[in-house]
Amino acid sequence: MKKFLKYASLLSVVVLMAACQDFLDVNEDPNNPVSVSPDLVLPTAQVYTANVMHNNRYLNNLGNMMMYNWSQSDGYAWYPDEFKYNVTSSFYQQIFNYSYSNTLKMYHVLDQLDSTYSYYRAIGKIMKAYHFQLLVDCYGNIPYSEALKRSGEATPKYDDAKTIYEDLVVQLTDAIRLINEGENAKVPGADDAIFGGDMSKWKKFANSVKLRILIRQSSMSGRETYLKEQFNIIASEGSGYITADVGVNPGYTNIENQQNPFWDTFGKDVSGTETMNNKATCATDYILTFLTGTNDPRIDRIYEKPSDGHLGVPQGLLDYDTPVVDAYVPEKVSNIGPGILKGANQNAIIYTLAESYFNQAEAHFRGLITTGDDAKTLYQKGIQASFDYLGATGAQAYYSQVKNLVGWDASANKLQAIITQKWIALNGLTAEQSWFDYNRTGFPAGLPISRLASTNDRPVRLFYPAGEYSSNGENVPAQPNAFTEKIFWGK
Amino acid sequence: MKKVALLLALIFIGLQVFSQTREITGTVTSAEDGGAIPGVSVLVKGTTLGTVTDLEGRFRLQVPNNAQTLVFSFVGMTSQEVAIGNQNTFRIQLKAETIGVDEVVVTALGIKREKREVTYQTQKVDQGELTKIAPTRVASALAGKVAGLQINVQDNGVNPSSQILLRGMRSITGDNSALIVIDGSIASQGAFDALNPSDIADISVLKGATAAALYGSSAGNGALIVTTKAGQASRKFIVGVNASFTMDKVAYMPDFQTEYGTGWEGAYDPVENTNWGPRFDGTLRQIGPTFPEGYGLETQIVPYAPVKDNLLHFFQTGQTFNNTVYLTGSSDNSSYYISVGDQRAEGIVLDDTYRRNTFRVNATKKLGKLELSATTSYFTDKTDVVGSTIGDQDRPLYWFILNTSANIPLEKYKDWQNPKSYGYADNYYNAYYQNPYWAIGTNRNIDETNRLNGNINLSYDILDWLNFTARASVNNVWGNGKNWRAAQTYNEELQPAHSAVSSFVEDSEFQTKTYTGDALVTGSFKFYDSFSLKAILGSTVYSTDYRGSTIRANNLSIPGFYDISNGTGKLEGTVDESLKRYYGFFGDFTLGYKNYLFLNFSGRNDWTSTLAKGSNSYFYPAAGLSFVVTDAINALKNNNILSYAKVTFSNSTVYNDLAPYRINEKYYQHVSFPFGTVNGFYLDPAAVDASITKEKINTTEVGLNLGFFQSRVWLDASFFNTITSDLITATTPSVSSGSTSFLTNIGELQGKGIELTLGGSILKTKDFKWDVNINYTSNETVVNEIYEGLDEVAITTTGQYGVYAVVGKAFPQMKANVYKRDPQGRIIVDPASGHPLTETGLANLGKTIPDYIVGLSSSATYKGFTVSATFDYRTGHVYYEQGSDQMEFTGRSKESVSANRQDFVIPNSVIETSPGVYVENTNIPVSGGRQSYWTDVYNDVKSNYVKDATALKLRELAVNYELPRNLISKTPFQKISFGFIGRNLLTWLPAENRFSDPEFNNTRSTDPANAVGVGGYLQSPPTKSFGFNLNVEF
Repeated sequence: MKKFLKYASLLSVVVLMAACQDFLDVNEDPNNPVSVSPDLVLPTAQVYTANVMHNNRYLNNLGNMMMYNWSQSDGYAWYPDEFKYNVTSSFYQQIFNYSYSNTLKMYHVLDQLDSTYSYYRAIGKIMKAYHFQLLVDCYGNIPYSEALKRSGEATPKYDDAKTIYEDLVVQLTDAIRLINEGENAKVPGADDAIFGGDMSKWKKFANSVKLRILIRQSSMSGRETYLKEQFNIIASEGSGYITADVGVNPGYTNIENQQNPFWDTFGKDVSGTETMNNKATCATDYILTFLTGTNDPRIDRIYEKPSDGHLGVPQGLLDYDTPVVDAYVPEKVSNIGPGILKGANQNAIIYTLAESYFNQAEAHFRGLITTGDDAKTLYQKGIQASFDYLGATGAQAYYSQVKNLVGWDASANKLQAIITQKWIALNGLTAEQSWFDYNRTGFPAGLPISRLASTNDRPVRLFYPAGEYSSNGENVPAQPNAFTEKIFWGK
Repeated sequence: MKKVALLLALIFIGLQVFSQTREITGTVTSAEDGGAIPGVSVLVKGTTLGTVTDLEGRFRLQVPNNAQTLVFSFVGMTSQEVAIGNQNTFRIQLKAETIGVDEVVVTALGIKREKREVTYQTQKVDQGELTKIAPTRVASALAGKVAGLQINVQDNGVNPSSQILLRGMRSITGDNSALIVIDGSIASQGAFDALNPSDIADISVLKGATAAALYGSSAGNGALIVTTKAGQASRKFIVGVNASFTMDKVAYMPDFQTEYGTGWEGAYDPVENTNWGPRFDGTLRQIGPTFPEGYGLETQIVPYAPVKDNLLHFFQTGQTFNNTVYLTGSSDNSSYYISVGDQRAEGIVLDDTYRRNTFRVNATKKLGKLELSATTSYFTDKTDVVGSTIGDQDRPLYWFILNTSANIPLEKYKDWQNPKSYGYADNYYNAYYQNPYWAIGTNRNIDETNRLNGNINLSYDILDWLNFTARASVNNVWGNGKNWRAAQTYNEELQPAHSAVSSFVEDSEFQTKTYTGDALVTGSFKFYDSFSLKAILGSTVYSTDYRGSTIRANNLSIPGFYDISNGTGKLEGTVDESLKRYYGFFGDFTLGYKNYLFLNFSGRNDWTSTLAKGSNSYFYPAAGLSFVVTDAINALKNNNILSYAKVTFSNSTVYNDLAPYRINEKYYQHVSFPFGTVNGFYLDPAAVDASITKEKINTTEVGLNLGFFQSRVWLDASFFNTITSDLITATTPSVSSGSTSFLTNIGELQGKGIELTLGGSILKTKDFKWDVNINYTSNETVVNEIYEGLDEVAITTTGQYGVYAVVGKAFPQMKANVYKRDPQGRIIVDPASGHPLTETGLANLGKTIPDYIVGLSSSATYKGFTVSATFDYRTGHVYYEQGSDQMEFTGRSKESVSANRQDFVIPNSVIETSPGVYVENTNIPVSGGRQSYWTDVYNDVKSNYVKDATALKLRELAVNYELPRNLISKTPFQKISFGFIGRNLLTWLPAENRFSDPEFNNTRSTDPANAVGVGGYLQSPPTKSFGFNLNVEF
């Protein structure tokens, strides 16, 4: 017995040692892969693009509040910070955080691919440029050259905004080169939720993103040579600009988590019930007056017409019950309209055709483009594209009016007309662009500010998120003055 | 089945009786005062045959003719052996035990050691201490009783959970909870909570990593070594019943204002959840929606006046029945313990119920040199509580209660199912938050858990000096859950602001299988007369395998039918599996000199599955010294004042590894996908350092154990210093890195602390005994270093407040945004609005675990009466009151009426007239004093809700009476005792904390485990419990 036990214990140790190699070889996660192919990365990235544009309190929402498009119905304390222009380190910080930690992270994965996937890589570059521009437009200097390296760089430095802008154009040119040279590369298909793998459309979109970047700098002095040079590169490349509204649509449908994000936020839930945001959000008085005053048929498409007629609410109204009690309850005010809230399956717009025309019109007007349609034609095409998207009719009659800021010839200040019409066209769609335009040009002129504002005008930028001060304190600049320190292109 | 057969066999062997016997009798008295000692165990040596003395200290026992020696033993007394010879009557005097000298301590891996040779500090808590107030969970009964141990009871639901911290925290994002070992096998806190407290024999607390070092990678946080009852040694057969009944009542609610009611911006609004209306005036006013004519219900009219305790009355009196029946006994060479427990509880929230059953069969058997023991238990419970994602905002129940204004008679809305009642969804007064009674009926969370545990222990004395022990255990835990919510739509005319509530059903199942095995060879040697050596060599293997799945269906078609087949749209589901394994070899050598000086060395090497091959092996060394001064120095021997003195010194290094699969970054399917045939994945938000490795904990401990007056009074003291380096931490990188956390080895934490225990019998006479035990715990963990360029790591944060690790500060640290102040500390206000300015960053506002904890437990016995109490005082820490934060928005807080809802000048405030120049503000009032100052400005300064977490609690109070034995000697009863029990009957909080129990934490529900210090509306209000218990033995 003694011997047996001794040997048994010795034996058990030996057996254990021998079995060890396999025994410990169990550290592979059975539920989550460590790598996936690009066609599984791209659609997620594009869904993130749609979300950063259209989720609750993201870019489009911010633009609509800043540009006095939207206000708040009675019974909701929905937009207190927006009405106070309460720019803090938490105010819309999700734009910064989500862009880097979701959207750009995923496109950066694509941007690391080899030549087998140079189309995917090109898409990655184009979309990175699209998002980095939006970040610069909101924040100015941001992490760029050292960003997105994950464990490789936990505290990326901040790069100069203008330098970033210039590199974005370089990256877009490189993306077009990748597409042109990528003959044997794998072509995306249904996994491309923007263009379904049509690479010629991606080239047009790359040029349109360039157009946006260049136009943004067009008010700067001393920038003309650079801009002309860049427009020449676009012209000689020859793909041209987008020919339709650009949106993300992976197959949005009336199913939980699969609705278009804007519809999901401001429209209805999957059971068909209007969301809280839907009821809380409505037109301002000013925008309705403006649309009515210009005989704009789009009014009933941008805003839902209540049975008693359109009614808007001044931003920052405190007393909703004087002189009439319950005058501004959700049923009585003009909520977001059917031209913008189309359905659960609608595209999530990231760049409208109208904007492309208005950007080109401005380029023409400034003499940066001299070929093709003239500024007036482009301006009218912009209005037409807006009517088309919203489902309104009578564009020609509208822009033929002899009315300042409506008819091209009747408008004293052409730039003001372009920017003002762009403001209407992008209402509810990509309204953040109008905020950037306002900060750059001061148009549309005479836009009211919120009644709760303690400043003379709306903010011109956002604060860096609080998290940057705790996790990247050595690099993040001091918070700028959100009302006076414009982004470089507005100075 | 085989196991059951074996156990039955063991039990039957145990029931054999002797044939050749004679009767002996005697009395046992105290050597000090001559008083009789009842309850002394009288045992025939080498057998389990015995009895206990009665109240007069007398005993009567049938002994076999061949019996040679009697052993008399009693807690606190030195055991005595007496030869039987031909004597038939015995007069025995027992001496008070010199505590700590001969006591045996259960240490890591179940190794029993004499206390004198133990080179680190441990503390034992025995059955009597644990079950004084018939607790349902063991953890709560440990609070205040052990120096170095902090028990945080995190919530007070029907199935509460606790956090068990020994010597504070050592890891920023890793696990800081003490290791739980039950009957020799590594268990979990779940298994600990599942124990029937009646089944526990004792708990040995190994306070530091050194004590637990032989547990390798599990050792870092110290350990609680639980031993369940093996069987009564002194009797043949006992059947006992423990029964208790307690009632739970809300101990206190937050302090509410009762001056203003329903409304917004000073105007009355009949449907508001907030209290920003005009001042109460007692007039009759409409509340809730206006019902159309013929609706069948009159528009509701109530006095515009506060309803006293309107929210308190929502809560009912909870009740708990807790019953255990046990059988225990022994015979020659064997013993057994069998118990069945049943607990039923109703919570303070209507319809919250809990039921559990526990079964245990423990048995031991000695076959010559072989000793076998087995412990098995089965546990099953069912929790049925209100869901935690109520309404279209997915809020917890307490939120709905707090969002009820002061003039609402909340308890009158119970009839929520009746369409013609004010409690019905369309008719309920509140336009924004639903009727909490409706919430209870339409949101349920039901969980069932089962646990089966078996441990087999085999010990064989190969030679006199050589023992082989092997142990195997299996823990199998499985369960299922169902969480559902009913849909609710609203009449748009009556409830225009309400969004429909969607329905869902979520089913979950899980199973965890854990296997452990240990083998030890122990050799004891003596040489050169003065020297001894105890050498242990062993191996251990561990494997734990988890599988869990959930499936969820949304927007159900048939109301009230909660099956996933009833869902519309996409089914959502996940499966999670994980497997972790390790094995290790260890050696432990204790060299003794003259039985007063001991030197211990131990080492263990582990190989783990969770780290990369090549860096998955590591060695844990430990060394210690124990010196019994009073035995070593002749001048100190037999000293009547200082009867015992021992000093210890030890140092150890242990390592922590990772959870499975953490060394790689992974992709996860995005919740929106698949869209048709297109699938989408996202890259892990957490980046992982490619060279991630183990974290290191080094602990040095110095201890002192003193006994005075034959150890009637004793003092244990220890000091420790722990340095954790290469911390495995999910740091917070800049989000622009493309990741929201970064798992890497960083920095250093240093913990230091002192523990003191002073205990003893203050009075001891024949009839009266008064024992007091005071323990003091003080420890603090400071973050020495994190990462170059990184000064803090957020454990949980909203951006405005959170729990952090901050370099140079105690951990965990509460941070929140604060007022901007001038050099004199006065609040700087904006000259335009009168509103205070705030600093851009968050300020460090203090640590969230106490500076020190003082526990006091005391019991006094007079004849059959015993009164015992346990107090616990904690101070020096802060916590975040989430509930009062919310009450600011609803205008229910005391602050919101502190200026009578008028604009006011902030006291002691200044304005900055030019940079650095501050002028006292005497005339610029805050704007929006009616409401918006409070909801938008004051409520945005989150340091307003960081409160002193000091608390003094009377955790336990018991009054017990045991019937004299002579009174029941003619009955079949062996023992009858009964009494009053109370838990948390009194709590003293500082004046500034008017909300809740600072011990409550969100760590069970939403926050990571180390984010101690944030609590509020995810828990119910604190409760106190009181009731009766009864213990009967046949």
